[in-house]
Amino acid sequence: MDERLEKALDFSNYALTINNQKRNIRNRVAQLQIVHHLGGVFIADHETIAFIKTLIDLKHKKSIVIDSKNNPITVKKLSELLEKLVDAYTSATTEFDIENEKIKKARNIKKIMDW
Amino acid sequence: MESILEPKGVCFFAYNNDQLDYVKMATVAARYVKKNLKLPVCLITDEGSEGWLEESHSKEQINQAFDYIVTTNDEMKQNKRRHFDSPWTQFAAQFNNSNKHKIYQYSPFEQTLLLDIDYIVKTDMLLKYFDNERPLCMFDRATTLRHELPANEERFLYDAGIKMWWSTVVYFDRSDFSKLFFDTWAHVAENYEFYQYLYNFPSKLFRTDYCVSIAVHILAGMQETQLLLGNFDDTSLMNMSQKDDIIEAKNDNEWIMVAHDQKEVWKHILVNSSNQDIHVMNKRALGRVLPDLMEALDGNS
Repeated sequence: MDERLEKALDFSNYALTINNQKRNIRNRVAQLQIVHHLGGVFIADHETIAFIKTLIDLKHKKSIVIDSKNNPITVKKLSELLEKLVDAYTSATTEFDIENEKIKKARNIKKIMDW
Repeated sequence: MESILEPKGVCFFAYNNDQLDYVKMATVAARYVKKNLKLPVCLITDEGSEGWLEESHSKEQINQAFDYIVTTNDEMKQNKRRHFDSPWTQFAAQFNNSNKHKIYQYSPFEQTLLLDIDYIVKTDMLLKYFDNERPLCMFDRATTLRHELPANEERFLYDAGIKMWWSTVVYFDRSDFSKLFFDTWAHVAENYEFYQYLYNFPSKLFRTDYCVSIAVHILAGMQETQLLLGNFDDTSLMNMSQKDDIIEAKNDNEWIMVAHDQKEVWKHILVNSSNQDIHVMNKRALGRVLPDLMEALDGNS
């Protein structure tokens, strides 16, 4: 095989493997961001956290919030939901950062596998 | 149903055949549950498999894995299943699954998580569903180790058919809806040939995935929407295909695997899987790493 093509295919495999590992991490992060609260399902993302914080800033203590399944959920204590969301977001992003750092430094497939 | 012993727990069905040691796999899967979900585990098996479990495992090993053992003597349908072990090796074995709907009767728990013995729980993600308001949850989507959609026959009952739900992981409580669901599942299982004609799914294998998919379809009023049934919040079942393999279990959590290309099966990529629940469909591959996994789990306990 042409040496140039061999090198290109090696890199292609590396790219395929690293992208797959990144999807693994994103998948895990997405699961960590799911928050169950009072029968509702909320995603601990920027939008939800900012919305709940806005309601609290506007002096709402309770509110009806539409969850990720499009169901209305009566949230009696917005501060409780906010705390859960921020906790989930923080643990998800912390894990994301740790795993992402590991992958960023890996320059070959063996390193990506940590093997 | 007899007396309910505990509020929450996990159940496994395991019936050995001449090719695969299901109870051994159940022992390891149960240890993962103990480690990551910290829930009691019930093994549902038959006399022969239980005898083999006692012969091949010490009492301590059995007690570490299972809190309850339910012995059944249901008559099983003839059900030869073709298995792959990588793209290059295949074998056939009897698959005893025709009494799976009886879990409602056999489970000693108020809230039950029914897992297949090849579903390895490496996280505590499933715990939150014991506190959700849905009486029943199953996966309605799956992804391969390469994060691709599985083949069409793993997504629909046939190319233009209804969506497939997976019976690999079933959470249920003791509500009227759950009872109705398992009764419907039993009805579909008992009239499998009729529903095969009606829903046009392949004929060779008795699949509980088809039974639950049809039960869901009937209970949803023949529509896609299902009010009381959860799908684990749109997350996917992570399937390690029968054509994939486990190269090495570095420890109980971190596994190095090879994932095949669905179109060009000779092409593989390496995958490092950790902190992720996984459905290990290649049972021979799981069998090969069981001693390492058991050792790693023993080291942790």
